Amino acid sequence: MKNRLRPYYPLLPVFAAYLVLFLVGRNVTGMWQLAATLVFYCALGQAFNIFLGMTGYVDFGYVAFLGIGTYGMATAITGLAGYPQLGLGIVAIGFILAIVMATLLSMAVGAVALRLRGAYFAIATIGVNEGFRYLIEGANLWNGSSGMIFTAQLNEILGRDLSSRIMTFWADVMVLFIAAAAAVVTLLYMKSKIGYALTALREDEDAAKVMGINVTKYKIIAFITSASFAGTVGAASWALKTPYVFPPEVFEIHYTIEAIIIVMLGGAGTMLGPVVGALIYGISKYYLSIFLPGFQLFIFALVIIFIIVMFPEGVVGVIKGKTRNTAIAPYIM
Amino acid sequence: MSLLRLENVTKQFGGLVAVDKVSLEIAKGEFVGIVGPNGSGKTTLFNVINGVFYPEEGRVFFDETDITRMPPYKRAPLGIARTFQIPRPFASATVRENVAVGAMFGSRGKSVNVEQSLEIADRVIERIGLTGHGRKNAGMLTPVEKKFMEIARALAMQPRLLLMDEAMAGMHPGEIDNMVKFLVEVAKQEKIAIVAMVEHIMRAVVNMAEKVIVLDHGEKIVDAPTRQALSDPRVVDVYLGKGAEEENADSSSA
Ligand SMILES: Nc1ncnc2c1ncn2[C@@H]1O[C@H](COP(=O)(O)OP(=O)(O)OP(=O)(O)O)[C@@H](O)[C@H]1O
Ligand SMILES: [Mg+2]
Repeated sequence: MKNRLRPYYPLLPVFAAYLVLFLVGRNVTGMWQLAATLVFYCALGQAFNIFLGMTGYVDFGYVAFLGIGTYGMATAITGLAGYPQLGLGIVAIGFILAIVMATLLSMAVGAVALRLRGAYFAIATIGVNEGFRYLIEGANLWNGSSGMIFTAQLNEILGRDLSSRIMTFWADVMVLFIAAAAAVVTLLYMKSKIGYALTALREDEDAAKVMGINVTKYKIIAFITSASFAGTVGAASWALKTPYVFPPEVFEIHYTIEAIIIVMLGGAGTMLGPVVGALIYGISKYYLSIFLPGFQLFIFALVIIFIIVMFPEGVVGVIKGKTRNTAIAPYIM
Repeated sequence: MSLLRLENVTKQFGGLVAVDKVSLEIAKGEFVGIVGPNGSGKTTLFNVINGVFYPEEGRVFFDETDITRMPPYKRAPLGIARTFQIPRPFASATVRENVAVGAMFGSRGKSVNVEQSLEIADRVIERIGLTGHGRKNAGMLTPVEKKFMEIARALAMQPRLLLMDEAMAGMHPGEIDNMVKFLVEVAKQEKIAIVAMVEHIMRAVVNMAEKVIVLDHGEKIVDAPTRQALSDPRVVDVYLGKGAEEENADSSSA
């Protein structure tokens, strides 16, 4: 008899990693911040992988979706501060706004940019990120360049205790759940026609078209999914954890670069890859900054270039190849 | 009633006329060989038929529907499939997944799910003789195996028209004979019209094609039943002319 759960085995190592991160963070003194940073990287990688990994298109403006998600949560908290009776409902509304706004932005960007091929798409998206930031600053949207600080409103809505528990703990737990949800969606996509269409178009877009695949449609599906996860990461990790938002910070391109590194390092288009990439990247960045402060970026650049050139399929890609036809193969995807 | 009809189709690249006012008809289930020297516009003709390029002039009809400007992804579900001159596998996917993509997005479309598509893939792989290669990455196949894989992928689409660009290039005479036998059988059983662009004109064409179309400099110069076409002096010209030139080039460079 066929094991009906077998298709879901690849989730086990992913969830195990998240559980270990949580337990270590909770139980080892002084580890929560590192664990939370790693969880953030995992969520970032897992979300970005749905687009970058599955389509092979590089979006240099990806951080804009985290940024707009941050604004979504900020809008809910500041706009509804007069209704403290809504309590946590306001946080829920914040997440919904984050998803809706990230979706709208990704539809607008995708409708134009996803018609461009490879490198042209990448260049266009750099413009989108910068353009969006200048729009917020120039048109004085959401307070323009002065940004928004909403710690006081969060305190008012949820009370000081809960609000500080959210900032120091629950926001990170939410990010953990977002990462896990992104992994589940990745798996569901991979098992469905969407995943087959995306693999085909990533490998050869023209051949995919000729075989009946509406490549634009599938690219947009991946783009919107990836963007809305990014929006929730911004809402939780940036708006709830640190209740303020400044355009230069939330549109900082180095987050996009980090996300690209995590996905490539771990294995683009694999489900476990972003976790592995996030852990390797996050842990080595942390210890390099302690032992070799100032040099970490330089060393990183070298190591990453080396790894990406030598193992373009990433760590998990290599492991997948080596473990094919072995007992652990069903767990690695 | 014809399955495919081209009316005065012209496709240019800048000043170069790659396909020049070509009209032709392919009947249902018909096996047609297209021949012509290098650069005569065979691949371009295929690209116009499956929508990679839209022609500047003329019309393309499939099943009497005008598809001249229909995007390629909408043509595949109608039953138009093709293989490429240089194989284009989805390299990181397995052979099985490659072929399953054909089943999923071809003319079966929404009527099959992923699991059923994989089962169809297994059957087609078996049938074409790639048994045992299903779980390999398509990128790891030999060039000839890749050609087989592409044909399997196209057949999984359950096409009514299969365009094969240099499908048998690089194969040994034995492999060509087997492939021809296989194709003739499939075409008959599944009522697929096959338009094959063939290199080894005599060997492949004589054995399978009911009709031969000859292109030269983008123009259709012959369109006739196989035996008649092969004895046509213009065909002999195109091929012997080319052969003679090559011989000259060889002897002058020696
Ligand atoms: N995308 C393109 N852009 C510009 N010119 C092209 C393009 N594709 C084909 N051509 C030109 O059109 C002409 C016909 O080319 P095509 O590839 O259709 O010939 P062919 O008969 O398939 O040749 P071969 O036997 O070498 O495959 C050639 O002169 C070729 O250089
Ligand atoms: Mg050609």
